[in-house]
Amino acid sequence: MHNKLFYYRLIPLVFALIALSVWIQPSFFQRAAGIKLPAGQQPQLSQPLKVEKPCVDLHPEWRAAQVVDGVEIAESRLCEPDNPYNIAAFVLGMNNISMRTLMNSRIAEDALTKSDDLDGDGDPDIIHIKLEVLELNGASPDSLGVFPTYDIAPGIQPGMWAFSPKLRGMSVKNFRSQKANAILRAPSPVIRVEQGDKVYITLENTHYFPHTLHFHGVDHAFKTSTGGDNDGVPVTGEKPVMPGAARTYELQPRHAGTMLYHCHVQTDKHLMMGLNGMFVVEENKPNNWVQTFNVGAGHVRHSSVAIKEKFDREYDLHYQSIDKNLAKTIQQSNDIREISKQMHRVYNMSESSENYFMLNGHSFPYTLRDALVIAKPDEDIKLRVANTQHSHIALHIHGHKATITNYDGVPLNPAAQITRDVYDLSAAQRVDLHLQTTNDGLHSYGEGVWLFHDHVEMGVANDGMSPGGNIALLVYESMLSEQGLPTGLREDALDDVLTNSYYAKQRPLWGKLEAGELAPDYLRILLFGLLVGLTIGLTIFITRGLMRADP
Amino acid sequence: MKKTILFLLSFALTLPVFAAMNHGNMIMDDQGMIMNNNPDKLPKDCKAVSEEVNITIRGGKKFAQDFAGKMFSYDKRNFQVPPCARVNVTFINEDDIRHQFMIHGLPGYMYPKGMFTIELYGKGQKTGSFIVPSRDYTYYIHCEVSQHTEKGMKGQLKVGKGTGDLDSILGLTAPLTPDLYPINNTHYTWLALIFSILVGVVLIRVLSSLLTVKVQ
Repeated sequence: MHNKLFYYRLIPLVFALIALSVWIQPSFFQRAAGIKLPAGQQPQLSQPLKVEKPCVDLHPEWRAAQVVDGVEIAESRLCEPDNPYNIAAFVLGMNNISMRTLMNSRIAEDALTKSDDLDGDGDPDIIHIKLEVLELNGASPDSLGVFPTYDIAPGIQPGMWAFSPKLRGMSVKNFRSQKANAILRAPSPVIRVEQGDKVYITLENTHYFPHTLHFHGVDHAFKTSTGGDNDGVPVTGEKPVMPGAARTYELQPRHAGTMLYHCHVQTDKHLMMGLNGMFVVEENKPNNWVQTFNVGAGHVRHSSVAIKEKFDREYDLHYQSIDKNLAKTIQQSNDIREISKQMHRVYNMSESSENYFMLNGHSFPYTLRDALVIAKPDEDIKLRVANTQHSHIALHIHGHKATITNYDGVPLNPAAQITRDVYDLSAAQRVDLHLQTTNDGLHSYGEGVWLFHDHVEMGVANDGMSPGGNIALLVYESMLSEQGLPTGLREDALDDVLTNSYYAKQRPLWGKLEAGELAPDYLRILLFGLLVGLTIGLTIFITRGLMRADP
Repeated sequence: MKKTILFLLSFALTLPVFAAMNHGNMIMDDQGMIMNNNPDKLPKDCKAVSEEVNITIRGGKKFAQDFAGKMFSYDKRNFQVPPCARVNVTFINEDDIRHQFMIHGLPGYMYPKGMFTIELYGKGQKTGSFIVPSRDYTYYIHCEVSQHTEKGMKGQLKVGKGTGDLDSILGLTAPLTPDLYPINNTHYTWLALIFSILVGVVLIRVLSSLLTVKVQ
């Protein structure tokens, strides 16, 4: 047995050991590499790499110009052309089509009725439209995934809402699929009516939250003929249309132009969720059967009489954005009270940002499938552009300068019309453009595969991953493949972006490797451990010794 | 006589613009430029040229390929010459862009700003010379095109024994402000740590029992 003094004398040794171990302590989680930087390593992918086909050529027969039930439908050389039977149904009304057309569409038989040529000019003037509210990429209590799925770009499935023509049958492609069927999509469809038509639009609220319809810029009385709500604003009109209920709004627009419609319940959130669409009033002309719905916007395959007189083609371009945090609120619960709380009270629009940017319901590269503007030289093309993002867009078309003919549906004095190459649209604004493909060095620089996109740069990325967002192409027919894809300068141009890893931000750009990791420094780790062990051992030895030592 | 002078004058005045021009200390043409070329002027502290040293240095992207995470470099980045040597540098640019061989710290009284530079505007080569002073010193070589030094195009020239190494020369010295990289820890890392701690504890135990036995 030693006396206490012996143990007291050992205490400095403990401190010395501690100091030594602090000094020799290795970096456990990161350190400098020294002269040689770590070698490159393959990226860690969360799922095996899959490259998608640029075009899944499901309905090549839909591309040709054709006549369905007497309705002339223009050629559409897109990868995903609009279903011509739907177009015939939207032009004639469900009450005027053949059984074959009905069976080839997924529209409910009461979704659209057209009747009564009130002014005797050869086209129907009483239009009954029924809209539903549908959800894409919502939560499901039966799986971890979302339902029904709708990819705005490879692997990107934000929670969204859209108005839709009243549908029939399943919302998915078939009973084995989780994918939304082709007509169930973003954006809310473009609605087209003729100036002077008596239009009755019924909102059948198929959704689990209350909604309304508000017509922005479309001539409508404040009240319906029976004194009901006709402006869709709950704080100045009736209570919103509750789930399972329906309400009919009445319009007889006296003014033609490119307008909007949207839900006016909790407008900040519901509009951004996708409950907004373009509303086009066409000039009153004889025998003017207009295509009441343009599902997915884009190419109008049956333009109105007035448009056909002046233009070779017509496109509806609807720009939308998504805040991923807002989109998430419908994906995290199946309890509608909780969803409502998360969306309407926890989520704060004044702190929102925009992450995804869509043109006609898709983000690049999927915009290449259905949002191309296709042209031939020396054409006049009508572009109706609407911005329902909350940030502004600065649309630019490579190689072309188009003329602004209308602002918010109102024609500009021809002398005041401006030809330029960036078109500004603030929130909810519309601009009609006259695009001339005349190769004169001003209006067009010639044939090509010309990008067109928002020049507010966050708009050309998918949650910051570029290229993405609302990038689309103006493609001349001579440079378009049979499947409706641009024939650019190289074949592998889209291989990177059409993978399941690119927008997940898991693959380094330009085929490079990631910066690698360093090996642990075992010598220092062992030395450090030894010192720590010695410190512990010595501390125990001293403590026990002191307890047992002679006084 | 007048005619001859006029003829010679007109000849001199109509030389192509890109022909080598000597502006002060610059020899320039459409391929590049050599600044402060000095094949013959001796530094004050040298009585004669001690040795003729020929250096060929290549610059370009491909020389950085063996160095992960870097973009441009020279094929050789470390040179040593005796004091008072005449260094004849042949700089070869293997890229399609501009690169420089620039050396700093030479005596300002004969090399304005202390520099000797060969710049090549694209693929090609040029040879220039400079005579180094007698003192031991490490001179800084780099390409001064924005970020080329930082991303690998840096070297050194030691005269005599030099004065140590410069920082962040690829393959030779570590950077002064290094990046930190994650460490690839496995369960062996933690096993090694625990094992060595136990060894330490047990070592004290053994030592103390030995000590006790000795005392007894």
